Amino acid sequence: MSVSSPSEAVEAVEAVHSGPGGEPVLTVDGLHITVAGGRAEAVRDVAFTVHAGEAVGVVGESGSGKTLTCRSLLGVLPPGCEVSAGSAVLAGDGGAVTELTALDRRQWERLRGAELGAVFQDPASYLNPALTVGRQLAEPLRVRLGMTRARARERAVELFASVGLREPAQVYHRYPHELSGGMLQRVLIAIAVACDPRLLVADEATTALDTVVQAEVLDLLARLRDERGLALLLVTHDLAVVAEVTDRVLVFYAGEIVEDGPTQDVVHRPAHPYTAALLRVASLGDWNRRELAVIPGRPPEAGQAPPGCRFADRCDFAEDRCRTAPIPLTRTPGGRRVRCVRAAELTPILTAPPEEVPA
Amino acid sequence: MTTTTGRLIDPAPPAPEKTAPPTDRRALSVSGLSVAYPRRHGRGAGESVLRGVDLEVTPGQILGVIGETGSGKTTLARAVVGLAPVVGGRIEVAGIDVGGLRKRELRDHRRSGVVQYMFQDPLRSLDPDLTVADLVGEPLAVAGVERAERRARVAEALGRVGLDADALGGRIPAQLSGGQRQRVSLARAIVTRPALLLADEPVSALDASNRNHVLRLLDELRRDLGVAVVVISHDLSSLAGIADRIAVLYRGRLVEQGPTAEVLARPLHPYTALLTASAPRLDRDPAVRRDRPGRSGPVSGEAPAWAGEPGACVFAHRCPLAEADCRTQPGGSPHPGERSAACHHPVTTSADRLARAPRATT
Amino acid sequence: MRTLRRTGRMPAARVALAVLAVVALLAVLGGVLAPQDPLAQDTTRVLQGPSGAHLLGTDYLGRDVLSRLLAGTGRSVFGAVESVGAAMVLGVVPGLASLWLGRSFEWSALRVVDALMTLPFTLFAIAAVGVFGNGLHQAMLALGVLLAPLFFRVSRAAALGLKQAQYVEAAELMGASRGRILRTHIAAKVLPTIAVTTAHALATALLTVASLTFLGVGVQPPAPTWGGMLASDLGYLAQQPWAPALPGVLIMITVGALNLLADAVRDSGAAQAAEPAAGGSAGGTSTGAPDDVPAARDARERKADERVVTV
Repeated sequence: MSVSSPSEAVEAVEAVHSGPGGEPVLTVDGLHITVAGGRAEAVRDVAFTVHAGEAVGVVGESGSGKTLTCRSLLGVLPPGCEVSAGSAVLAGDGGAVTELTALDRRQWERLRGAELGAVFQDPASYLNPALTVGRQLAEPLRVRLGMTRARARERAVELFASVGLREPAQVYHRYPHELSGGMLQRVLIAIAVACDPRLLVADEATTALDTVVQAEVLDLLARLRDERGLALLLVTHDLAVVAEVTDRVLVFYAGEIVEDGPTQDVVHRPAHPYTAALLRVASLGDWNRRELAVIPGRPPEAGQAPPGCRFADRCDFAEDRCRTAPIPLTRTPGGRRVRCVRAAELTPILTAPPEEVPA
Repeated sequence: MTTTTGRLIDPAPPAPEKTAPPTDRRALSVSGLSVAYPRRHGRGAGESVLRGVDLEVTPGQILGVIGETGSGKTTLARAVVGLAPVVGGRIEVAGIDVGGLRKRELRDHRRSGVVQYMFQDPLRSLDPDLTVADLVGEPLAVAGVERAERRARVAEALGRVGLDADALGGRIPAQLSGGQRQRVSLARAIVTRPALLLADEPVSALDASNRNHVLRLLDELRRDLGVAVVVISHDLSSLAGIADRIAVLYRGRLVEQGPTAEVLARPLHPYTALLTASAPRLDRDPAVRRDRPGRSGPVSGEAPAWAGEPGACVFAHRCPLAEADCRTQPGGSPHPGERSAACHHPVTTSADRLARAPRATT
Repeated sequence: MRTLRRTGRMPAARVALAVLAVVALLAVLGGVLAPQDPLAQDTTRVLQGPSGAHLLGTDYLGRDVLSRLLAGTGRSVFGAVESVGAAMVLGVVPGLASLWLGRSFEWSALRVVDALMTLPFTLFAIAAVGVFGNGLHQAMLALGVLLAPLFFRVSRAAALGLKQAQYVEAAELMGASRGRILRTHIAAKVLPTIAVTTAHALATALLTVASLTFLGVGVQPPAPTWGGMLASDLGYLAQQPWAPALPGVLIMITVGALNLLADAVRDSGAAQAAEPAAGGSAGGTSTGAPDDVPAARDARERKADERVVTV
């Protein structure tokens, strides 16, 4: 597999970065989320910013806190979970800002769909099976944007066309069960972007789709980002998916951000051993028989994290100093952050592209 | 009731001429398999879900089955265990014609545990009220294995999948993590020491590390136990890591099959080329990615008018290479190296031709 | 089974069980505990209020109300249990069998049930008593026949859903027999549903015993039952307005406890259904945070999400 040299990759990323406007859309700072009625902390001190037109990927294993973080931004935390500290600020039109952690139910309902769009893994369960998909798209247009019935319908057909559904006028009259999984996900994306939100959160939106449809939906998300200047927060467990469409990637482990940086930079020169481990297990377009890599051990359970580095027990490079005190998230050159005391010395070791490591 | 579907099958047609060699060397042999679910109203078979599928798996071999949702992957596996209405063709598991089994024979065949089917979602296929030990031991209990021997074999099966029988044996599925649940499913499938294991999307609900873990277990099992494995997956790259052969299904037809690395690295069929081109990779920067070829196939105007006809090539409606001769469905013509592809234009450069074909925009 | 065990840990269920235990004790020992002969009439002291000799007063024939209530418990409760027991046998067995014994049995069973459901309760009991003779057993068995469709429908519906469960399909693939599938996979899950139905049916039967006695069907006077006492006391409402309250309260408490228990069983069954999602934190094996895996999504959670995209 021909790997473009890291420097080329970085240039490509910078070209993308200079494109979209730079003002922050979402600023999360010091976010803590507790689970089990406040008895355990599942997300600790998460801070990041999403700029307008930027696509940010959030990756991590099951239970890394990535989904909880994303749900807290949508106000749909599961029962027993709550934001215990920190802030998440969504910048609205004309300089208005909204503190997401302080919203009540009514305020959430005004915000969602209008300024925040969301797409989830299982599109069928978010659509009403008894209504045509067209109606489910036209309804928010009429309610939120005050469109007339005819105008909303016209706009809905336009939106269906813009998310790549063929024969949108016919699709308008279809019921959810008449559409395939890929088409439903497109319908859901159309609903999510109908009111021109500034931020679209996609929580494992392509995980259940097959390869070709997944690639198409990722293409669609990238295109919407380009055309509408939409900020994108893509939550997934597959680093390869993130590498496809994002500018920047946040790597979550056991409720903390362990690495943050430009995507191509991070996937080609991981600074944290956990990122390197994720890269080893990711689907990499390698078609050969090989020993599939796994990350040994299990992540610590919420509230039972060790005092030092939370990844230390599964890390090949852990030393005594890793286990004593919490590791800070340190800024490194190139707009990256990493939570590893040995990051500087490890980067060259971890950089060897995993696909070139002999099986 | 699901078990009755096997009885709907007409007596197996005379074996096609090519299944002459002794069958004991093959764990699974499928020839000319067609499956069609009955119409909801009225009589006769409805639309075909599988048409004329030929497959073979030898002991210790892993066959990967790929294809889009609705391509018939799951139906293929279900047909082998008698859960899908077979309307034509022949299925042999370890030399036994399973299509010909009736009531009692079918039950005895199932109790023997020669073939095991592993469901996609362990939360649904494992009884939520039973403990891990009971779940894994169930196939043995059904077959009437003594309690003491059962306990030993359950512990052995759990050990093989890397679970501690003493620590987890008393838990119920809800008390396990997703990866552990899938491994319990796997333990239940191998506890009967099957000759053939059919795994239906065993890893699609797992994260990357757990996915690789389960796939590695399958790899170990075929090596240690010599079990033949059919894995259905839509994750091409990790499947490529363990599978010896790959079969590609599209709309109920087997469009290509052959050794894994050859099929995926040098696809003969344009659909396989589309699949491999769509697989996510790390080194593709966003600008290049958007110019990827053949993603969505021809836009509605470009597909040939005859593309939907019953006799036409199933992939013609999306194929940028479709020509007049694609109006008839090509057979699975053999190619060097035990490969076959159902395409009139199976050229090794089809990936390149795809790239140069008119690009579809949505 | 886990549902029933869990039910035992719920406070509401414990209160209900305690009340029912007392009722059961009275049912068995009521006659012995009665301070006086419940049938002994004392015409010099009719319709008296509570006193040292008669703690709850006397009725229109001068019989001790407390003794009659205690002695009547057994007949009332056993009557209800008898009818519900009959209903369970006549309902649950064909209800489950209708799923496995083929189309013709299923069709016939469903038609019989439809026919039974059209019959009015009281009228059928009166007719049955007319044919088989007036007595508690006849009336109660007649009631049991009429309650059977309830059990039939409920157990059939519960099993119908379970029969299509993937783990049942998996068991069929192992070559498991119907009986085995029924025992290991179906019975334990249908049980909570049947328990709920039983509690409701017992309450219904208890009230029906009362109303039948009220009509003079079933228990013959002077034998005391709660319903019979309620009926006769109502005749002397002008003299003793509070008297019907005594048997009334007993019926109410028993029925209330049964309903409480039924609700508790149902709630713990619902809690169990939601458990796989909570497994991450409840099981303590995962990380406490909800799984990112699709299967582990809670239905409630999904509903919450639904608002996001549909509003």
